[in-house]
Amino acid sequence: MLTRYKFLLTVTRNNYFLRQLSLESPNVFAKPESRCRTVEDNPLNHNLEHEGRFYVVPPAVCNQLFRFGGIPKGYEVQAKTFDETCLMIRKPALEVINMMKVADYSRPIVKYVLFGERGAGKSLTLAHILHYALNSGHLIIHVPWVPDWMKKCKDHTRSETREGFRDTPLDSAAWLAHFKTQNQHLLSQTDLTVTSNYTWSKREETRSGSPLVELVDLGINRIKYASNIIVALASEVKALSSSGRCKTLVAIDGFNCFYNKRTMIKDENWKIVPPFQLTVTEAFINLVNYNWTNGSVVLTADRLVWSGNERGESDLPLYQLGKEAFELLDPFIPVHVPCYSEKEFHSCMDYYMERSWIQNENGNTEEGRSELMYLSTMNPYQLMKICGPL
Amino acid sequence: MIPIIKFVVRNSNYVSWSSSSVTANGAKVLWPSTLTVSFCTNNNDSEKKPSVKKTSKAMKAYLERARKHEEFIKKENLEYQIGKRHLANMMGEDPEFFTQEDVNKAIEYLFPSGLFEPKARPFMKPPEEVYPPQKAAEFDEAGRPYHFLFYTGKANFYKLLYEVVENINNLNKYEDRMIRKHLTPDPTQAMSMIGSQWLPQDVLEHRLVEPLHESQYAAFKLAFDRLVSHPYSYRVRDFIEEYRKPLVNQVALQQIPEPQYDENGRPYVTTTNCLRKRSWAEVTVRGAGSGKISINGQGLDYFAEIQSREQILFPLIMTKQLKNVDVEAKVIGGGPSGQAGAIRWGIAFCLRSFVDKEMIEQMRLAGLLTRDYRKPERKKPGQAGKRKKFTWKKR
Repeated sequence: MLTRYKFLLTVTRNNYFLRQLSLESPNVFAKPESRCRTVEDNPLNHNLEHEGRFYVVPPAVCNQLFRFGGIPKGYEVQAKTFDETCLMIRKPALEVINMMKVADYSRPIVKYVLFGERGAGKSLTLAHILHYALNSGHLIIHVPWVPDWMKKCKDHTRSETREGFRDTPLDSAAWLAHFKTQNQHLLSQTDLTVTSNYTWSKREETRSGSPLVELVDLGINRIKYASNIIVALASEVKALSSSGRCKTLVAIDGFNCFYNKRTMIKDENWKIVPPFQLTVTEAFINLVNYNWTNGSVVLTADRLVWSGNERGESDLPLYQLGKEAFELLDPFIPVHVPCYSEKEFHSCMDYYMERSWIQNENGNTEEGRSELMYLSTMNPYQLMKICGPL
Repeated sequence: MIPIIKFVVRNSNYVSWSSSSVTANGAKVLWPSTLTVSFCTNNNDSEKKPSVKKTSKAMKAYLERARKHEEFIKKENLEYQIGKRHLANMMGEDPEFFTQEDVNKAIEYLFPSGLFEPKARPFMKPPEEVYPPQKAAEFDEAGRPYHFLFYTGKANFYKLLYEVVENINNLNKYEDRMIRKHLTPDPTQAMSMIGSQWLPQDVLEHRLVEPLHESQYAAFKLAFDRLVSHPYSYRVRDFIEEYRKPLVNQVALQQIPEPQYDENGRPYVTTTNCLRKRSWAEVTVRGAGSGKISINGQGLDYFAEIQSREQILFPLIMTKQLKNVDVEAKVIGGGPSGQAGAIRWGIAFCLRSFVDKEMIEQMRLAGLLTRDYRKPERKKPGQAGKRKKFTWKKR
């Protein structure tokens, strides 16, 4: 309790300081503070005071974090229309950020599992947490949407090093590029070095002590080794974190897809390849294992990864993860991402009005809003869908 | 063919039947019995000397037809009366006080019918209602028509139009006089057409004893509309109202349930058997609520489609009761749109107890209180679905 109080004190002080700063050198992207908006764009300073309000993610940050995905398509389109990427500061994200702040990093990693109904904002909560991780100097390992690898796999080959495994070279190289973009500021540091030797072929090898970025670049340039390099990268990052050279956040959206029974990938004999026979799966399951320190893991358990109405009865983590994944992750902290509260709903509507998104004259009346509230059942995604044509 | 039930019993002792015929009503004589009154009773003939005037062939033929018709109706009437007494005895009622209503009930009980169309079900009615009336003779013994419009073929109809025009001409003259006196029509007496409508075509045909074409009925309405639009039309109010039929107030016909009260003192109304397509719902609307909607224990998110949610909200928003009542619904069967439709009807029906009469009338006009009786079409043998055929393969 005392730590929390102290923490709040420092946060308010920082907040005040930042406001002073913004007065002196106004941020061109910051819009004036209003009922639905806050000028505080640093997630380090977000607290319950800002809950329910929107903040602008600076375009540079957006470009760095979400250039290769991370924000759901529909929301991205809307953000492009509004000419700014705004995220709502919501309780689940604040909860995770706060816990990440106070966690003991000498202990094994803490795992957070975000769950909630479709369109409730799990991915955007993850985006907010990623922004926090960037500002707090974490090394970010982020998978924007796991089912993309399973359902829309661009290319796959038989693994040469592992019997019965399949590599996904194009997707893996693309992800390495994503990793490099997200962590460009950290990878240039000299103390992030590889700790063991890797031999890829007769001529290509990675010596221990060479910079981590070299390993990543090799994967991007020689996509044949990309999948294996991801596996190597995972163990390297674990080792680096455990040795205290970096603090790591592993964020995986749609984690339960690794525990699906099948993928859309078929091998040479037209047999369906299950996820556990993909090389990349091993890397990320290795990352969520408990046997390392100085890191956090934030996962989402989403019913959208299943096909059709499979596992449609409940959104609770035990049901969505399944027994195997649950036992792997256990113990973890489940974080429920609910639909909008009334305050958040009105904040969202205010934001739409401010952006002149709702042109219908009844959109801002009390009756209009209550109708929208009922029609969308306060589900953020559905509200966005309904308000689109208004 | 319409099945008509007759109870024919010969030599029955207890038949009481009065042979008095219905009297005529002057010039516009409608019912066959009247023709006997108009002319050519046997008495008249006997009083006359051997006539110099010859009876025309047309007249003779007409008299023969009229006599046969009368006899036929007499016979039918007798059979009907006997049948009615039999029916009364079968049902264990007093035959003397057995009314037509009792006859209808007895027939429905004895001959239950699953036919949809009421006109196709078995019935027993007095012959006057079953057989169409016949016109009285329209010409004298020499074959000369009485009516000046006889050769139009529809004398009564065109006579009516003449009357309308005559009235309009008279009113025009009257209006001219009033203008000369610098007087204006009395606005307080102006004709109001609200709450009534022109006689439907079938009723008008029955009254004129002439079949009408659609265009003729349209001409009838047009002529009367012109008459009504005259500023002094109130002077012929009686004539106009003869041809108008009052509209029934639908809302007044319905019985609106009084709300019951639960243990917390909140009023509530439950509607069971809310049906639409293949869905069944039971809806309870509670007053003094806060706008909670629960469908099978879930919120509005029970329906994934926005349209279904709109269906549920429509009656609540229209009556402005969205935040004032709570809705609990139990629904089974069918698909989402059918379930939403069933619940919508249930909510609207319950809400009648919570709103005023004007709003109920508005709801009725919006179609909220109307049951949708349409059912999904059945699958046909020999094809894949109700309309879809199996893939056709040559061999």
